[in-house]
Amino acid sequence: MTIDTEPLKSVSDIERTTLMTFIPGRIAVMFGGRRWRGLAPLAVLVVLCVLITIANPNFIELRNLVRLANSAAVPLTLAMGLTFIILMGSIDLSVEGTLSVAAMVVVLLAANDSNGNDYGWWAVLAAVVAGTVMGLISGLVQTMLRIPSFMATLGMWFIGLGLSVYMLGGSAIRLNDASIRDLALYRFLGLPLAVWVAVGAFALAAIIQYHTRLGRHILAIGGDEDVTKLSGVNVTRVRIAAFALAGFFFGIAGVLAAAQLGQSHAVIGDGRLFAAVTAVVVGGTALTGGEGGVVNTLIGVLIVTVLANGMILLGISPYIQQTVQGLMIIAAVALSLDRVRLKIVK
Amino acid sequence: MNETFSIRQVFEGKWTQGAIPLVLLVALLLVIEIAAPGFLTGETLALLFANTAVLFILATGVTFAILLGGIDLSIQAVASLASVMMAQLLPSLGFAAFPVAILSGLAFGLLSGIVHVKLRVPSFVATLATGGVVTGLALWVSNGRAITIEEAGREKTAWINATIFGLPVVVLISALIGIVSFLALRYTRFGRQAIAVGAGEPAAWAAGINVDRTKIIAFAASGMLAAIAGVVLAARLSSGSPVLANQLLLPAIAAVIVGGTAITGGLGGVARTAVGALIISIVRIGMTFVGVNIFLENMVFGAVLIAAVAITIDRSKIAVIK
Repeated sequence: MTIDTEPLKSVSDIERTTLMTFIPGRIAVMFGGRRWRGLAPLAVLVVLCVLITIANPNFIELRNLVRLANSAAVPLTLAMGLTFIILMGSIDLSVEGTLSVAAMVVVLLAANDSNGNDYGWWAVLAAVVAGTVMGLISGLVQTMLRIPSFMATLGMWFIGLGLSVYMLGGSAIRLNDASIRDLALYRFLGLPLAVWVAVGAFALAAIIQYHTRLGRHILAIGGDEDVTKLSGVNVTRVRIAAFALAGFFFGIAGVLAAAQLGQSHAVIGDGRLFAAVTAVVVGGTALTGGEGGVVNTLIGVLIVTVLANGMILLGISPYIQQTVQGLMIIAAVALSLDRVRLKIVK
Repeated sequence: MNETFSIRQVFEGKWTQGAIPLVLLVALLLVIEIAAPGFLTGETLALLFANTAVLFILATGVTFAILLGGIDLSIQAVASLASVMMAQLLPSLGFAAFPVAILSGLAFGLLSGIVHVKLRVPSFVATLATGGVVTGLALWVSNGRAITIEEAGREKTAWINATIFGLPVVVLISALIGIVSFLALRYTRFGRQAIAVGAGEPAAWAAGINVDRTKIIAFAASGMLAAIAGVVLAARLSSGSPVLANQLLLPAIAAVIVGGTAITGGLGGVARTAVGALIISIVRIGMTFVGVNIFLENMVFGAVLIAAVAITIDRSKIAVIK
């Protein structure tokens, strides 16, 4: 999405002094450059927790913290997948489509109130595979047809949504398989299994990012794709693998969402893309790629979830949440401004 | 690649890219006329145009953003908010609700443009963010419910659903918007500069074009047209809802791309979008006619979008495809 424009640096210097870019730049300077900017999301999270606790002490009750962890499970799993895509400097808009396909598959194959299937945990496996295949197709479309990821995944978003709504016949279908429902209902060490699955997803994502070749290559592509290619990395294969990996996480999230709701319906994915993008960006992963990672995203997810929870505790209309998340994206991007300045942005 | 004659070369030629959608449209019309004789009469055509009007107005707005090489993913949110504002404000403000709703779209379009340009955020993220802001506001204002426009309000929106000389007023509105946008792109300084920015931003910048202002105006236009589409939609359905236009984002973008405007910018225009919107509309009618399940429409449009982007995109313009 961005083009290097060395000859235009002088123009950008003039640009730097305009008011709108100046103020966020100053705030970034106040945070004291790179090292401190990395800690800013954590500081925001802590301040947020303290402020909400002061306003309503119920916030730190154990019951509320469990609720908080529970509502962070699906966004965390989703955002793990999305982080890898954004680390490459791409975007995956198919989050909601892939999630709803996975939720549809698990509900239709496990015991449900619409057909006679009862494949138990094979349904979960099938759902995760379906998510992975959706991601794989996104990756293939993006690299083989050579079109920008936001267009490829915009198409996949609606293909997935159309497919799942069609298969569900436009209605809500209940999930009756008790063992899958236990993902949401059974508690281990006080937390629902879904939370542990999300923690597992985070651990897996962290291992992939920091200890595998794929993770390194994804980071390298985000840093500079041309250099990565010249270094002998098969960029196409890494891109396809990254999209498939993202689809894998979206698939898991779809299963968790279906288990939590006890059903699947047409709007199971509504608003999930937005929350996931907000979490990744607010956590400090740069949209230009190559900077940030899954640990940042964990903090980003907590910020988004704590804020949503806090707003409910403070009696603020839940409908306004998307507005706040939208403003948070804008603010977070504004604060991570300076490294983007030398490029044309489309 | 340029030395040998290939199918790709034909697709990438400017002339053929403009002509293919038109040929496709005529072919589709003929197929339907053969399958169901009597389709090409004034009455059914007027109905077709009327059903395409809202889609065309939305798509015209996005055309501005796409011509510049950007995209606007907030149009469905802005249109929905406009419909909610109409439904909420008609009883108290009367006719003043129209400008208020439309200006709200202009304001959020401006916001998208300013965030995109001044904060240097890629347009799809900037508009995703403003779209979220707008959706939240619409949900909040309407309490998450659809609001019916009551009898008193319907009197003030009735003119939109009326016909003049056999032509529905919505068709006239969309034609007027189409003509104004067409002239604005072709004969005004803004229009020429917009196409220059889309064709080559560094060159446009070096030539002294105020790129930032051009982009902001384009996104403001996109927001305002989206709000107008929302107002028309509210009048046609006699209700406003925070999710009213959600199903229109994909068809609107698909209409622009299928019409032959390149996602990379600089090539295309409102006339092509008109052709694209009619194609989408006819395909939709055709699918219902053939008996394709209505829920599968999204799948078809998603696939059509990917195919159309793959054909029309100018790959020489993107160094690295992200």
